[in-house]
Amino acid sequence: MTTLALYSNKGGVGKTAAAVNLSYLAAQAGSRTLICDLDPQSSATYYFRVKPKLKSGAKQFIKGGKQVDKSIKGTDYDNLDLLPADFSHRKLDVTFNELKRSKHRLTRILDPLKNKYDLIILDCPVTISILAENIFNAVDYTLVPLIPTTLSVRTHRQLLSFCKKNKYDVSNIYSFFSMVDKRKKMHRELMAAVLNEFKGILQSAIPYLSQIERMGIQREPVAAFLPKSVASKSYQNLWQNIRETILSKTTI
Amino acid sequence: MRPTLQFSFPDGYDEQQLMSDLADHYSTKKERFVSESMAIYDTFDWRLFNKSLVLYESGNKLVLRKLFESTIIHSAEITAPPVFIWDFPDSELKEQLAPIIKMRALLKLAEVYSRATPYRILNHNEKTVARLIYEEIRSSPDKHIPALATYLWLKPVKGYPRYSQNLSKRLKEAGFTASKKEDIYFEALRVADKKPGNYSTKLNIHLDPDMPSDEATKVILRFLLHVIRINEAHIEKDLDTEFVHDFRVAIRRTRSALGQIKNVFPAETTDRFRKGFAFVGKISNQLRDLDVYLLNEVNYKAMLPAVLRDNIDTLFDYLREKRSTAFQEVISGLDSRKYKRILQNWDVFLNEPRQASPTVANADLPIIDLARKRIYKKYRRTVKDGNLILKDTKDEMLHLLRIECKKLRYLLEFFSSLFPRKKVNVLIEQLKKLQDNLGDFNDFCVQEEYLLKIAEELPATDQQSKKTLVAIGSLIGTLDREKQAAKDAFAKTFTDYASPANKTSFRKLFTSK
Repeated sequence: MTTLALYSNKGGVGKTAAAVNLSYLAAQAGSRTLICDLDPQSSATYYFRVKPKLKSGAKQFIKGGKQVDKSIKGTDYDNLDLLPADFSHRKLDVTFNELKRSKHRLTRILDPLKNKYDLIILDCPVTISILAENIFNAVDYTLVPLIPTTLSVRTHRQLLSFCKKNKYDVSNIYSFFSMVDKRKKMHRELMAAVLNEFKGILQSAIPYLSQIERMGIQREPVAAFLPKSVASKSYQNLWQNIRETILSKTTI
Repeated sequence: MRPTLQFSFPDGYDEQQLMSDLADHYSTKKERFVSESMAIYDTFDWRLFNKSLVLYESGNKLVLRKLFESTIIHSAEITAPPVFIWDFPDSELKEQLAPIIKMRALLKLAEVYSRATPYRILNHNEKTVARLIYEEIRSSPDKHIPALATYLWLKPVKGYPRYSQNLSKRLKEAGFTASKKEDIYFEALRVADKKPGNYSTKLNIHLDPDMPSDEATKVILRFLLHVIRINEAHIEKDLDTEFVHDFRVAIRRTRSALGQIKNVFPAETTDRFRKGFAFVGKISNQLRDLDVYLLNEVNYKAMLPAVLRDNIDTLFDYLREKRSTAFQEVISGLDSRKYKRILQNWDVFLNEPRQASPTVANADLPIIDLARKRIYKKYRRTVKDGNLILKDTKDEMLHLLRIECKKLRYLLEFFSSLFPRKKVNVLIEQLKKLQDNLGDFNDFCVQEEYLLKIAEELPATDQQSKKTLVAIGSLIGTLDREKQAAKDAFAKTFTDYASPANKTSFRKLFTSK
């Protein structure tokens, strides 16, 4: 069992697109997979055509335990289930903060699900507060999409120093380039610089492609509706890369 | 957690009609059909069926499920059709099947072809909320021949229970029946003319207590002859070692019945057939011995220290060569005129009409009386022999006791239908423990001697064969320790067997009131 967070403290970097496609590919390869949509914007939930509502209600969700299982929905794909987002997730930070062991609430919520799945992927909202710490405590690995822009790289630096300061193991944080435009000189140069600066950068990059944006219209992972496209191939490569470099350390 | 429901179609209702009826209520999406073949496997003696398991090969996968259930217990990828468990890829499937199948070969019993068309049931967001699968199963891949069975599967999607509940209700209203006690396994086997469970090594004999003893004995012997014939027919194909084994056991039981159920046939007849079956038994002695060594190859290797483990291969290669000669000898033995004549005469004798007034002492006796007498006498004999061994343990005496116990075991099994089953089974279990102990002791003795003999036969000129001899020596050492351990365990095992409680049970069941 492995838990993996698609996380970034910067918005619009391709977290959800990656979470949706990677979980789809994992499930297709035979792993019992759960994607948890923690983002109140509920984009992952929307892509899977599921209503953004927790059947258990927000309160039961926070408590964790068996109730969470009731809210899980089967997707259109074998082996892939979804824990839908709920609008109440916008208050997760505040709610966790009011509870005991406030940095370990998410761990408690996910624990009972761990024996039912081989892989749990979290699609996270933008955060670097107590929710972020809940995520770091709950997962085995964190995967950060990185756009090769100055601001994105700066945010990543910020994240790493936050983690070091709060004693989170940065060796479990990996990143990959996202929304890459190879025609842009700046993208190329920044990518080269970043590879020098940070450890844990995966080889595979996700290009900037309109095929990926079409997911909003199709409401399906691009890997499902255009399995042979460049977009699909790049997610397949990324998934392969994740399996070899990250998941080979654990059993999935 | 997500139960799949299987429905049988009502008469005259087909796929098209079903989908057009459903279209009034649901938006559906048809997907491309999936064709699969399914080859069903089991051992000759139905070891999987007896455990309610179904093993089938589909594509490059071997799948195990429970009878009457569609949930897959284990599956594994295979590159060649499965035959022996040791050829299986390491997997949970192998682990579960190994203790069941053991040394028996898997036989392909039947093959059926499934053509499944999935339909998605969609909600207003065009999200899949349930799945229906229309499946036709045929005995050939030709889709124009009539289907053996047509099923509809309803697969709920997690988190959308309402849709499948409603669908299920609607289907039932339309005359679909949820089929529980139905499995394509039976239909497939019926078409292939196979009857699940029709062969077993257990003695399945039913006797009437008042039957005259000669007649009852013939019932037992006819059953055994049937087992002999079934196995004899398969020996030539050499599918696995157990056809010869079962063949031999049936012969041994026949010989034991002739010797132990006394004075039911004229002495001359009994003698003639005892001699005949002694000959028949000998035909396969060497082959069986070699089979036992070869089946134990892994265990022998495990007994050896790691440094010697590879050196024993020469021995097993040698034994394998010997086996192929021994096998040919069995084949010609079974083909010999003498063998055929003995079996032919035996068949005639067993099916002769009964003489009106037999002259032999026990022929007319009700079988229950004879059974009681023989079993009780044999039990007392084993207790007496065992007690002597307790005072002075001689190897020779242990061997003799083992043979007496075997005779008692056969008697109990021949006549078990005459007595309360549970009570007899308890006694058999107790006896079995003693037999296991004595059997172990005997096996170790025989193996030790055999290895010594083989060591003399092996040409020991080169380096390799010298090492092999060292390995054999080491094996003999281990076997000798095991032998001693079995001997040491005898006193305790026998004391349990000859306990006052066990004695009382035997007396109560087998002495006439």
